[in-house]
Amino acid sequence: MSHDHSHDHDHDRTVKPMVDEITDFEVLEIALRELCIEKGIFTAEEHRRFTEFAEQIGPTPAARLVAKAWLDPEFRALALAEPMTASKEVGVDWLEPTGFGTPSDFTAFQILADEPGLHHVIVCALCSCYPRPILGNSPEWYRTPNYRRRLVRWPRQVLAEFGLYLPDDVEVRVQDSNQKHRFMVLPMRPEGTDGWTEDQLAEIVTRDCLIGVALPKPGVTTNVIVDTRPALHPIPES
Amino acid sequence: EGDGANVRRNTHHRHAVGKGDPGVYAGQAGPPKFAVGDAVTVRDLPVVFYTRTPEYVRGATGRIAAVSYESPAAEDETWDRPDAKPEWFYVVEFTQADLWDGYTGTAADTLRTEIPERWLEVAG
Repeated sequence: MSHDHSHDHDHDRTVKPMVDEITDFEVLEIALRELCIEKGIFTAEEHRRFTEFAEQIGPTPAARLVAKAWLDPEFRALALAEPMTASKEVGVDWLEPTGFGTPSDFTAFQILADEPGLHHVIVCALCSCYPRPILGNSPEWYRTPNYRRRLVRWPRQVLAEFGLYLPDDVEVRVQDSNQKHRFMVLPMRPEGTDGWTEDQLAEIVTRDCLIGVALPKPGVTTNVIVDTRPALHPIPES
Repeated sequence: EGDGANVRRNTHHRHAVGKGDPGVYAGQAGPPKFAVGDAVTVRDLPVVFYTRTPEYVRGATGRIAAVSYESPAAEDETWDRPDAKPEWFYVVEFTQADLWDGYTGTAADTLRTEIPERWLEVAG
């Protein structure tokens, strides 16, 4: 230091935190990441690439796959017989981003086709396994112990909470993805969509339809928003 | 940077690249013991520290819905056992009413889950 300074920090160079407080989780995340990079477990470049992979995934390719299957019986047959080949036609290569798939989603993908009288719904009772390469990141509720504990045992009640009431002549089939297979639902094409284009059809296939907690419906292009019942004994406002 | 060929933690990447997982284990488990439609009962094996076979299917009888793929069982993979032998995995379908006492859905409702061969025996 050539110049004299009354205190020992440089105002211009002090990095202001973006938030008032950094959480324990953030402190540990930084510690772990920096140690891994320092020890060569992975590189900063690999961390960036995987983060970018995780940020660009979403349910759009899966919705597109369903729309294509509705319009093209040959593609539908391919989707059911060789789902990972069919995935490539909507831009998803299950071997990405590592060359052998993601380490946690594997490369055993299966598409569960609903039929008249059969409805599929998926869950991972053990954790939160989800077909991320084609469906994006799992919703928060999908990871909760609540959904995982209840769906396998009371599927109709859970579906009803999502606003999906299935008649008794429809078999509800819960698929628990507890090993290397990942699943998505191929719902049936709803009435009132005659002559629709692939884009129009893909728009009504929401993430919830692909998990099986909703059915596609003309005019509905976002996930389920449930009309919740008012509480029977509401807390009085003071 | 450098040559990662002899770095042990790169082994899985090197053997699975281009094939995927579980694709990399194809052809290593021999003939599958069960076929689609077979009735099987889930064994009640001792579980020490780890399993991926849910408690709710132990002792239950279902039928093979799909012969899935070959892979070392999760019970071995999770401890990175080098001598773990790949085995066949099966999607097994159960009738919900057989799994849950007092199941409130219909008699036709089902549940499917995936189970490695070691956990299954011929129903009888």
